[in-house]
Amino acid sequence: MSDPIIEARGIQKYYGDYHALKQVSLSVAAGEFLALVGPSGCGKTSLLKILAGFEAPSGGTLTIQGQDMAGVPAAGRPTRMVFQKLALFPHKTVAENIAFPLTVARRPADAIRAAVTEMLEMMHLKEAYLHRYPHELSGGEQQRVALARAMVSKPPVLLLDEPMSALDARLKKSLQAELKHLHRNVGTSFVHVTHDLEEAMMLADRICVMRAGEVVQIGSPHDIYYRPAEAFVAGFIGDTNLLPAQLTREGEGWRFDCPLLKTERPFIGPDQAAANLSDGPGLLMIRPELLRILSPADAAECVIEGVVSEHFVRGGSVQYRVQAKGAVIVLDLPGTMVLPARNGDPVRLGCARSDLFAMRG
Amino acid sequence: MAEPRSWRDGAVRLTTLPLIAIFGAFFLVPLVMTAVLSFQGTQYYRLVWTWDLKIWRDVFSQWHYWSIMLRTLSMACICTALCILIALPVAYALVTRLKDWADHVTLLIVFAFLTDAVLKTFGWVLFLDRSGVLNGMLEGLGFGKAALDVLFSPFATMIGMVYSLLPYAIFTIALSMARIDRDLVLAAYDSGASRWRTLREVTLPLARPGIVAGAVLVFVLSLGVFLEPRVMGGGTSPMAAELIRQSFETRVNWPLGAALTLVVIVIGALSLALFGGLALGAGRRARA
Repeated sequence: MSDPIIEARGIQKYYGDYHALKQVSLSVAAGEFLALVGPSGCGKTSLLKILAGFEAPSGGTLTIQGQDMAGVPAAGRPTRMVFQKLALFPHKTVAENIAFPLTVARRPADAIRAAVTEMLEMMHLKEAYLHRYPHELSGGEQQRVALARAMVSKPPVLLLDEPMSALDARLKKSLQAELKHLHRNVGTSFVHVTHDLEEAMMLADRICVMRAGEVVQIGSPHDIYYRPAEAFVAGFIGDTNLLPAQLTREGEGWRFDCPLLKTERPFIGPDQAAANLSDGPGLLMIRPELLRILSPADAAECVIEGVVSEHFVRGGSVQYRVQAKGAVIVLDLPGTMVLPARNGDPVRLGCARSDLFAMRG
Repeated sequence: MAEPRSWRDGAVRLTTLPLIAIFGAFFLVPLVMTAVLSFQGTQYYRLVWTWDLKIWRDVFSQWHYWSIMLRTLSMACICTALCILIALPVAYALVTRLKDWADHVTLLIVFAFLTDAVLKTFGWVLFLDRSGVLNGMLEGLGFGKAALDVLFSPFATMIGMVYSLLPYAIFTIALSMARIDRDLVLAAYDSGASRWRTLREVTLPLARPGIVAGAVLVFVLSLGVFLEPRVMGGGTSPMAAELIRQSFETRVNWPLGAALTLVVIVIGALSLALFGGLALGAGRRARA
């Protein structure tokens, strides 16, 4: 990883007595796309405001491009923000809105015009929009104008505060793809706040999951999904199966005792357990798409026995819900012409030992 | 927005009837009566029904009336400008820096605003008098006796007018400034704009409807002040309202008073239309 462009150490924020951020540390590499995710009130927006300079941290240090940001106002920072409600100037035309950061920087008029035209192309906005007012554009177009205004001065860091939360699903998908494309082309670091982990997984190089003012886990989308630090992170996206188990350290790895899971060798390697795991009761996670239904002749390293209680055909995939000793196991199978099981059928589910991941209960 | 309802709708006609009745009885009828009155004459303090343009010829031919109207108009313009200039920073402070104290400051302004006008005006007289509070303080500071002798001058009138009309400007401007989305200001800072630049490019343009409304209120009300020119200006430089009062009460020349009243109303209405056009233009541009 190259030198970090943003380096936050032990950032604290109090609002009166309310402790919004508790010792948050993270770094963002140049050109990286980092997503900040978490439920509302987790402090992700506060952190973004501190990065932008709209709020001062109550403690900790923040450096951007190697420069200490203490006392540097928003106007003096190398960051640009895309606001949740976009915050386009209603009394300025689209052209004036996009050009605003350059106008206040007193750039020559022809340079401004060239930059605005370039942004227009990059954001797929029509030339005719330049002299319209923001309220004359559709939601998606306003979104692009807001992005264009933020990107026109080629900032090293772009901060995005859930700018897509108000759009409908289809528009959101196409804008997400464009955002990703934009990020790849410009080399700017993006810090994107969202409460939608699916969006974060699609866009980000790394995801920072927050809860109650603390960072729970920072990792690649793949790690967040398959190697969550806690049940909280595991449950944040998609369906998952968390099986109660007794865990004991054995050499480098862990021995598990899970009544639901039958296996010859109840043992997992060191890279299949959360870093903070300790001896005692814990959880074994299996993602639904890692399980399959075994035919009588099949064998698997790990087996769960149960009865199908429900199944849903979801286009390209089928979801089964299986009752196993009082627990409900969810599994996703690729769609087939002949369904492998129906409601009420007894089934044996199988997975590899390497598909398990252990975490604290 | 609710569906626009037709005038054919009986319920609409019925519910607007009281309003129309009140408007007609207390605004239109007196206005027409005033207009009718201005075409009559007087003899021995008695109204005579002459139906001629004598009064109107007098009003437009005598420099005395012109000068009073011009003085009224210029005093109103200066008063409006001063009120807006003072109200802008006060309103800005009220919705930004003094936000936590806004309720307290507003309460103080409302107290001053609701105190009886006569009391306030005489208070100013005591304050500005040659041997009043202000000059006493200045003397104590070594500026000599009666250092600031402004009472009974147009300057004192202006102080009184600005003082009594300022709250209208402050409140309308503060209201429109408070309605500006905070994110727009942050977006300007984020784009690298200084505070001053943000004020000029974002806050002031978006507060324009409020500024125009405040200016209209102050201007129209300042056309009609009579207490301040009389008590603080000492009656040496009367304004339109005082002239009208004299025409009715002292000179008992009702047609003259009626004609002068109409002149002031027309001036007020014309400037209202002008300001209104400005506000509408601003509103059309600012609508999001």
